[in-house]
Amino acid sequence: MIALVQAGAQAGTSTAAPLVLLTSACLFAIGVTGLLLRRNPMAVLMSVELMLNAGNLLLVLGARVNGRIDGHTAALLVLVISAAEAVVGLALALVLFRDRPGADVDSRGEVTG
Amino acid sequence: MDGRWLPLSIGCAVALLSALGVVLARRPVHSALFLLLHSLSIAALFLCLSADFVAMGQVTVYSGAIVVLFLFVVLLLPGGGRERRAGPQRAVVALVAGAVTLLAMFVAMYAAIRGGAGPETADSAFAVAALARNLFGPQLIPFELTGVLLLVAIVGGVSLWHRQGAERKR
Repeated sequence: MIALVQAGAQAGTSTAAPLVLLTSACLFAIGVTGLLLRRNPMAVLMSVELMLNAGNLLLVLGARVNGRIDGHTAALLVLVISAAEAVVGLALALVLFRDRPGADVDSRGEVTG
Repeated sequence: MDGRWLPLSIGCAVALLSALGVVLARRPVHSALFLLLHSLSIAALFLCLSADFVAMGQVTVYSGAIVVLFLFVVLLLPGGGRERRAGPQRAVVALVAGAVTLLAMFVAMYAAIRGGAGPETADSAFAVAALARNLFGPQLIPFELTGVLLLVAIVGGVSLWHRQGAERKR
């Protein structure tokens, strides 16, 4: 991976792109790992936020590389969507786990209505 | 190699380490604090990539609102939302899934990483005025729809909480 970054640098192009691409890929993979590793609904939601951030980083990088502003617009919209997702996800987590001390996404919960 | 190389590398390193902290911290409070650090470092990366307005949005919306919301909910959960330790089987599954994802993304991005980027775009192309022209021009309908989305999310959150409270009182 380091060799690839150096290759990008030697090619006389922007070094930002390979580095940020690698970071974004690693962040997304960390998010997937956390999503499956953690049992706590809060930690699961935070892992989802990590993945959204990785995607946003890629959108902004794409805007810079292609010289188009659309990536920034899309990143702003993703920001709003992640806010909405956090609101609903946290409400569900609170409703499901406010009475039970060991919060666990594998255990059965009940939501009515 | 321009002058942003150093802040960019530092930002990437902090983002990766704090992401690991989010996933590995045992207590959800620590995870939320690591998430705060992570979102700030992502905002710094946005600044390095000359996305000023998105960086500001990241700081105000993400660090200011979402992460604080997470902290509130963590404090509301009984016992701070402590969880049992993940079993070895779960850890193996999670690590394998993470490795496969990383591999897949690496393969997909190989050409882009190898080729580096094209010529750098001037920062003036990403001024706030240009962003506004795009947001309120071609992207107006998606932008307006986010308002509906936020309203639906608010109504959903409130109604979930209310109905559940009514069930409990019965």
